[in-house]
Amino acid sequence: MPVKVLLIGLDGGTFSVLDPMVSHGVMPFLGRFLAEGVRASLRTIVPPLTPPAWTSLATGRTPGHHGVFDFFRMDSPETRHIRFSSARDIRVPTLWDAATAAGLRVTALNYCLTFPPPKVAGFVVPGWVPWRQLRLACHPPDLFDRLKALPGLDARELAMDTKFEERATEGCSNPHEYAPWIERHTRREGHWFEVFRHLTETAPSELTAVVFDGVDKLQHLCWPFVAAEPGAEWDEPWQARAHALCLDYFRRLDGLIERMCAMVGEEALVVLASDHGFGPTRQVFHLNAWLAERGYLAWSDEAPARTGESQAVLGVGQVARHTFLMDWERTRAFATTPTSNGIYIVRAGGGGRGVTDAEYHAFRQRLVDELRAEKDPGTGEPLVARIDTREEAFAGPLSALAPDLSLTLADGGLVSILPSDRIVTPRAMVAGSHRPLGVFMARSKALRRGVDVGELSILDVAPLVLHGLGLAVPAELEGRVPEEAFASGVLARWPVRVGGRSEMAERAEIDVPDRAEEPPSSAAYAPALGPAEEEAVMKRLQELGYIE
Amino acid sequence: MTTARDEIQTYLTTLLQELARDAAYTLDVDADTGLFSDLGFESLDAVVLGTAIQEHYERTMPFAELLAEVGQRKVRDLTVGELVRFVETHLSTAAQEA
Repeated sequence: MPVKVLLIGLDGGTFSVLDPMVSHGVMPFLGRFLAEGVRASLRTIVPPLTPPAWTSLATGRTPGHHGVFDFFRMDSPETRHIRFSSARDIRVPTLWDAATAAGLRVTALNYCLTFPPPKVAGFVVPGWVPWRQLRLACHPPDLFDRLKALPGLDARELAMDTKFEERATEGCSNPHEYAPWIERHTRREGHWFEVFRHLTETAPSELTAVVFDGVDKLQHLCWPFVAAEPGAEWDEPWQARAHALCLDYFRRLDGLIERMCAMVGEEALVVLASDHGFGPTRQVFHLNAWLAERGYLAWSDEAPARTGESQAVLGVGQVARHTFLMDWERTRAFATTPTSNGIYIVRAGGGGRGVTDAEYHAFRQRLVDELRAEKDPGTGEPLVARIDTREEAFAGPLSALAPDLSLTLADGGLVSILPSDRIVTPRAMVAGSHRPLGVFMARSKALRRGVDVGELSILDVAPLVLHGLGLAVPAELEGRVPEEAFASGVLARWPVRVGGRSEMAERAEIDVPDRAEEPPSSAAYAPALGPAEEEAVMKRLQELGYIE
Repeated sequence: MTTARDEIQTYLTTLLQELARDAAYTLDVDADTGLFSDLGFESLDAVVLGTAIQEHYERTMPFAELLAEVGQRKVRDLTVGELVRFVETHLSTAAQEA
């Protein structure tokens, strides 16, 4: 019973926000959808971060296998230059690859890490691409001109505007910036819907995936206004307006989802999923300042005067330059980015006083012990709730590219990587930050109705989508088809087909040696698949079990 | 000017002219055009452009290093001419290594 699949991504979607939206009538369609389908909490990977999490959803693999750990990554093993992650960093087949290899059409809209666009049979408009470059990012190449000609479609609002997006992490400079910022996200989702409508009406695909990322952005910047229930009282008029506009965003999003479901029809499998959950954060842990205070990190002469709360966060452009802030001769551990809460240990061999192989495990354990002992100055409680080593969080052939340590803060927030006089500073206003439990909602004639099946893994979504499309589920996927979500007897008539793990599957994953033994090979950083290798991809997918 | 440089310059100016039109800019793109000062690029624009150039030439190039160096300049800008020379240098290096 293969069917069309519509995969709607709600970036950062969380039931603690969506359930009240349903119960207060802001999202009536979502309420009906849940009554007619299955729901579950969706546990994401470590770290609960957009690029690795959406990649795990689209591949059914953990980061140690797919190779994406953060928005950013080191440009090469020989340098400390940081670059933005791209689709070329994904080292395993995606749903788009699998569907295309099986002869199915694919439409992927606003999905993270789809630039450079995969050469699918269908359409790709990547997410996280600036509006000025959108022409370069669309597949097929003439798609941008087709979209630009659509009445009312504003390419500048559809794609990413860096300055505009940085508000989500840097905050608005005054209260009057909130309303236009929220309204723009509401319009933006409408633009993505128009792209969906145009492509669905003119050239429908068997697999269509659309991500609405305003959910994440609004929850980051406007958490108090999103989390408050309708009718909440506010001290200032601008706060009441921001709250009303947030509710309007979710109300309109509900309408878009309803129209999308109607367009794909009742026979389709519709999956709504998020890459991670959300919750409040009230403070900032200045991790590099903490490392500097302990003598593990040294600032360079180019580092600005130590700052406090005002520069606790920084934008995309500054991240690439921040490694100039450190004295690499005297730095042994550092946090690379403000997004992953990861600590990298500088290894000996590249000059400076890096950590030798013999010292590595003891040095890392000392960091773990000291971080666990660090207390919140306000409450006296531990600052860090959990610390995962690279082997624990990122097992797999690409784990050497991952941070040596990954922190989960007790506050649930993200670290700052900039200099600071204080180790912990309060946020001016409560913000939203990522949590491990996202959402899963699905509806089709094959699924149960009105049932909560508890908790699923984000790794289970790819197997479900493949099964929905009528494809075999490769044995090496780390998730499973959630059989408890299916109506009685369905899977007996429509059994899950498991593709065999092959020797080719092993070779598809680049072998990177553990950094405790030797530096990673440059091959791990090179583009995974060049155009000349496209023919080989088909054979590889076949051997991986995606196609028969 | 070498043939390779001519080809790179033609490719990049044509591409950037097209992107400038999308952004409703009317200026002509030439070797002296600044990506940040004249075309209004942000950091991520330059990142995506770098990725697209690598896709076009099917070669990896150290764009992150280039952009980090640009970020250290007093005036943070990169001209089309500098970008052409950067691409030419790394294409010729790749050709010598092949």
